Amino acid sequence: MSTARKAYLGVAGLLGFALLLELAPRVGLVPARYAPPTSEILRTLAEQLGEDRFWLAVADTLHTWLLGLAIAVALGVALGVFIGTVPVLRAATASTIEFLRPIPSVALIPLVVVLWGSTITSTLVLVVYASFWQVLVQVLHGVADIDPVAQDTARSYRLGRWQRVRYLVWPTALPYVATGVRLAATVALILTITGELVIGSPGLGREIATARSSGAVAVMYALIVVTGLFGVAANLATRAAERRALHWHPSMRAEAVPA
Amino acid sequence: MRRHLAVLLLSTALLATACGSDDAGGQSSGEGPDKVTVGVIPILDVAPIYLGVEKGFFDKRGMDVKLEQAEGGAAIVPAVVSGQYQFGFSNVVSLLLAHSQGLPVKMVSNGNNSTGVDGKDFASLMVKGDSPIKSPKDLEGKTVAANTLQNIVDTSVRASVRKDGGDPSKVKFVPLPFPEQPAALQSGRVDAVFVVEPFQQAVLADGGRPIASSYVDAAPNLTVATYFASKQLIGENPDLVKRFTDAMTESLSYADSHPDEAREIIGSYTKIAPEVIEKVTLPKWPAEVNRDSVQTLADLALDDGLLDKAADVDSLLP
Repeated sequence: MSTARKAYLGVAGLLGFALLLELAPRVGLVPARYAPPTSEILRTLAEQLGEDRFWLAVADTLHTWLLGLAIAVALGVALGVFIGTVPVLRAATASTIEFLRPIPSVALIPLVVVLWGSTITSTLVLVVYASFWQVLVQVLHGVADIDPVAQDTARSYRLGRWQRVRYLVWPTALPYVATGVRLAATVALILTITGELVIGSPGLGREIATARSSGAVAVMYALIVVTGLFGVAANLATRAAERRALHWHPSMRAEAVPA
Repeated sequence: MRRHLAVLLLSTALLATACGSDDAGGQSSGEGPDKVTVGVIPILDVAPIYLGVEKGFFDKRGMDVKLEQAEGGAAIVPAVVSGQYQFGFSNVVSLLLAHSQGLPVKMVSNGNNSTGVDGKDFASLMVKGDSPIKSPKDLEGKTVAANTLQNIVDTSVRASVRKDGGDPSKVKFVPLPFPEQPAALQSGRVDAVFVVEPFQQAVLADGGRPIASSYVDAAPNLTVATYFASKQLIGENPDLVKRFTDAMTESLSYADSHPDEAREIIGSYTKIAPEVIEKVTLPKWPAEVNRDSVQTLADLALDDGLLDKAADVDSLLP
């Protein structure tokens, strides 16, 4: 299927969904007061675009999200390569990682609220905690995927530790890192909005909560649409970055060849 | 390839720092105004403090006030006790409960009161327009939505039922946040709701009708909520607490005598639609805590089993 055709179908699907949400309240399937039609949500969204408060919330959310993601990726890659290349360390940490990783970040909300109150720091801790594991686990898999022959070759040529990381570990792990970053970007966004919504740290999530407690239903949906657009943007951006960083990799080259 | 990822990481980090900066709360040391953080809920009740900050009532007493919006009062008490916030806003029953659990909290200023006018308060017990329920005693065996169980709302609703000659123990309460109550009433999931503004207006718009003003039934001129501090802060910095109380007194009196300005400021920190803000019934904002009403609530809480033993109300009151 051509790229253009794919894009058309994607847009058509979105329009169909919007039409469905427009019609459902209009024909009385759901009460319009609590589920306003698409046109009203979009009109409210346009109004929001003209308000300083909206842009401040967008800036706060971007700040928490991107900072949290950057910290998680840096930590995940550094620790992942370190733990992954030292077999003893890897064996020693495996069970601890498997224990800590499934703890849902939101379960830490009571803890962070007591420690840091309803500040950006609280939400940031949740974001970093949740997205860190996505990156770490991918990097560990990536490091484990090194071709044993290549490993032996590197050893024969007496490559130093740093050179092995640079020319062997990193190229092998990179596709995994890219996947980790893509997963982490979405998880980080979810946790950013959740934290703002539940903890009340500044950002779009808190604005959604305020709209809800003010009975401003259309405003609430308009802000929810914005968070959805953030998610789409995150996916497009990480995919584009992945394509550029991995243009040499077979998985990317296969995509370019017409089927 | 490595450069690409490094550039991506660096640019996200830069963008992130450019988008805002972390704010450190707490008090400043040395010269300059004291930094004060107050935990509030984005509802009508806290209009006076927003108005007071805008009018400079805190500035002129050497306080740089930051109002932190918390989602619900439950988060505010721990944050005040741990020192994240210097002051907080909470309803009286929540404070009675925290106090009885041994948390070191003490009221420092009044928050807001009911209007004291039956049938014209900022909160009411409401049923659907075509409901057979005529008065609170008809709620026996029925389901009533309350935003939180074992708190000020169900205590007040039970007071309405008792006053009307019904048995409050036969009323079933279900927890439901205020924003969801109008829809739940409309769809028949509950028989009655107890809503505050602006949801009172939402229920009225759906054709619902009020059957009681429970905050009025609970006690005359009931103090619904107050501002409080930790006993630690009161012991360490009585001067700051005194200045806060003075600034609040001025803010409360100002808001009470300038309802139009109060309505205007509500539009700035909530997202309530302007046409609704015009219609909502505002609470009363007396400068003094109604001590008798706090005692009455403590008695009701003891009768209803919220408290195990009689509360030491005097040590909680300012």
